Amino acid sequence: MPGTTELRRVMCVEDDADIRMILDFSLATLGGYQVLAFADGPAALAAVADFTPDLVLLDVMMPIMSGPEVLAELRLLSVMQGVPVVFLTAKAMPDEVEALLVHGATGVIVKPFDPVTLPQDIRIYWQHGRG
Amino acid sequence: MNPLAFNETPLRVLVVDDIAESRRELCDLVTVIGHLALPVASGAEALKQVGLQAADLVLLDLLMPDVDGFEVTRRLREIDAERWLPVIVTSALAGDEHISLALRQGADDYLARPVNAELLEAKLRHCRNLLGLQSRLRALALRQRTITDNVPDAIVTLDAAGFVVDANQAALRLFGDGRPGDTAIDGLRCDDALGADLADLQSQTTLRLRRGDGRHFPGEVSTTAWRDGDRDLFTLVARDLTERQRVERMKDEFLATVSHELRTPLTSIIGAIGLLAAGAAGALPAPALALADVARRNGDRLSRLIDDVLDLTKLEGQGVMLHLRPVELVRLLREAIDANRGYAERAGGVRLSLIAPEGPVEVRADADRLLQVMANLLSNAIKHSPSAGLVSVTLKSSAEGVRIEVADRGKGIDAAFRGRLFEKFSQADSGDRRAQGGTGLGLYISRLLIERMGGQVGVVDSRPTSASAASGPSKRDSAKAVGAVFFVELPATGTAPPIWALHVDRDLDARLRVADLLTGTCRVESVPDLAAARGVLPQPALRLVIADPRSQDIGADDFCAGLRDLAPGVPLLLYSDAVDADYAARHAARWLAPARSDNHALVAEVRAALSQPFGRRKTDR
Repeated sequence: MPGTTELRRVMCVEDDADIRMILDFSLATLGGYQVLAFADGPAALAAVADFTPDLVLLDVMMPIMSGPEVLAELRLLSVMQGVPVVFLTAKAMPDEVEALLVHGATGVIVKPFDPVTLPQDIRIYWQHGRG
Repeated sequence: MNPLAFNETPLRVLVVDDIAESRRELCDLVTVIGHLALPVASGAEALKQVGLQAADLVLLDLLMPDVDGFEVTRRLREIDAERWLPVIVTSALAGDEHISLALRQGADDYLARPVNAELLEAKLRHCRNLLGLQSRLRALALRQRTITDNVPDAIVTLDAAGFVVDANQAALRLFGDGRPGDTAIDGLRCDDALGADLADLQSQTTLRLRRGDGRHFPGEVSTTAWRDGDRDLFTLVARDLTERQRVERMKDEFLATVSHELRTPLTSIIGAIGLLAAGAAGALPAPALALADVARRNGDRLSRLIDDVLDLTKLEGQGVMLHLRPVELVRLLREAIDANRGYAERAGGVRLSLIAPEGPVEVRADADRLLQVMANLLSNAIKHSPSAGLVSVTLKSSAEGVRIEVADRGKGIDAAFRGRLFEKFSQADSGDRRAQGGTGLGLYISRLLIERMGGQVGVVDSRPTSASAASGPSKRDSAKAVGAVFFVELPATGTAPPIWALHVDRDLDARLRVADLLTGTCRVESVPDLAAARGVLPQPALRLVIADPRSQDIGADDFCAGLRDLAPGVPLLLYSDAVDADYAARHAARWLAPARSDNHALVAEVRAALSQPFGRRKTDR
């Protein structure tokens, strides 16, 4: 399989350190992806050009910049063209989820999520969001 | 209380006579009868005493120099119009003309001179009784006034033209200009006094009102029409909702925060346990796996509880938006059953079955929410099933609608509890260990959701009662005896309105709110602007355009013209605070201001618009 058609690098932006650790275990240890996690939007935005992620997992409620704000900035970067962005949110109401999709995210994963199925879940979003 | 209790109190009788001897005679008579006599020698002095409220009754000689009895009587009536002061005139003149004149001037009665003691006593007694009634009526009126003035809600009475005829203290505080103890809004029209016209006050329960200082506030109003004689009056009770709305907002924000703050650590807990159990940190021995399973299950339960509490808060507050679309039920039920097989397996090998008609069955419903309801009913049935028991889901379809039944083989539900089953925090058998997995909210949430979809949910118990079991063979084989049967009924797709409304509004919140409100009325296509509207049109079933010209990138006139071009001949409802009735009339549109109307008003307006004959179609016929 050619490298460009595979989901390899996942960038996570999540302010809660414990959840970052869960994400790393889930996506790196179980999923086998290359994972780079950041605690806030500015740090992630600064690193995105070097890391060139295949998919971004983005927390919604964060200090400094909210998830939708980070998404808006990401969309301006050329390396992010066509890269799926999936929100991670603790808000689970369908209309809240719909409101997030309006911002242009590929999908929304609701917390608490299942770390065992997460690698497969984001792969489906990646396949869906690329096309 | 005896209305004539005033009886025993002596009257203060003002004896007015310019002749000292007859004055003294009359005073003696009054005193002997048991009253207090206050002698005065002139009309002027009499008026002065009355002005000081020194007397309860006036005995007045008609013939006096300077100010005579006729003049005194006339002027007395001007001094204190609020209070009735009995005036009995006395005269030694022959003939009735002067008595008639005195009575016309306002005197109440007369006595011929020399005064007969018995007649005087009778007349004073009569007046004393009337004065007693007057004082009691005044006390009653004062008491009613005090009660009304101590009600914290503003109470305003308007006449048929909308003028304020009465206002309590709370109304004066809210709508008055702040001067103490005045009647600042009496006689004003309600537009000027309250900032709303009579028609709005009668038809709307929540609307924008104006304070005395000019500031507007959201008000809750209930108006009652009544008749006072031949006069139509309207009494309204108004309440300032500012504080309540602030508390609602705080509650919503608090719940959103709590939800976030609870879910974040829960994500780590459930995640860490899931990873441990999955062997992400090395394989666990069997006993550790069993413990991890306990922790995982309870983590999931806690998560469900948080979801339920939030769901409930939003459902009760109408904050949940349902997306009613055609749903194929057989597939949905299969999906619901498949999703619960794992749970059924763990709960002692409970079996799940589906009995459905051949072919697809369509209803209009919110698929996600219907799945949630089915998950609730199924997990409930599984929870109350014996080991290896059967939970059967039956789908029945008829012209009126569909009925989904979920039957278990459990103990059934006590008839006494059946009515309360769909209420908040109700669990029939809290002693049952397996029932403890629930939150007590699932069935209540299910009921709210199904009712919002236009259907109903309920429970029947098909266990034979002990009487019928003894009296004859049961219809059912006892081995197949069914426990509780929960049902969901939804109206048939055909009964759903096949009409569309297009809602064009920049404000996403407004679009979500309108779509939610019109769920049972018509299908709503929501778009932010004309460009997006172009994408969904033409739509042959379109019967109404709802639009807000505010925040559009083109002017309101161009915007309205654009809508007319896109949907020619389709009625237009401007649902906007940015325009007024005149503007709407110029564009031949209906108009409703969100800030000045409640949710019911919108639904009523849309229904009215939809019930109008559709212009183009009518001419086609």
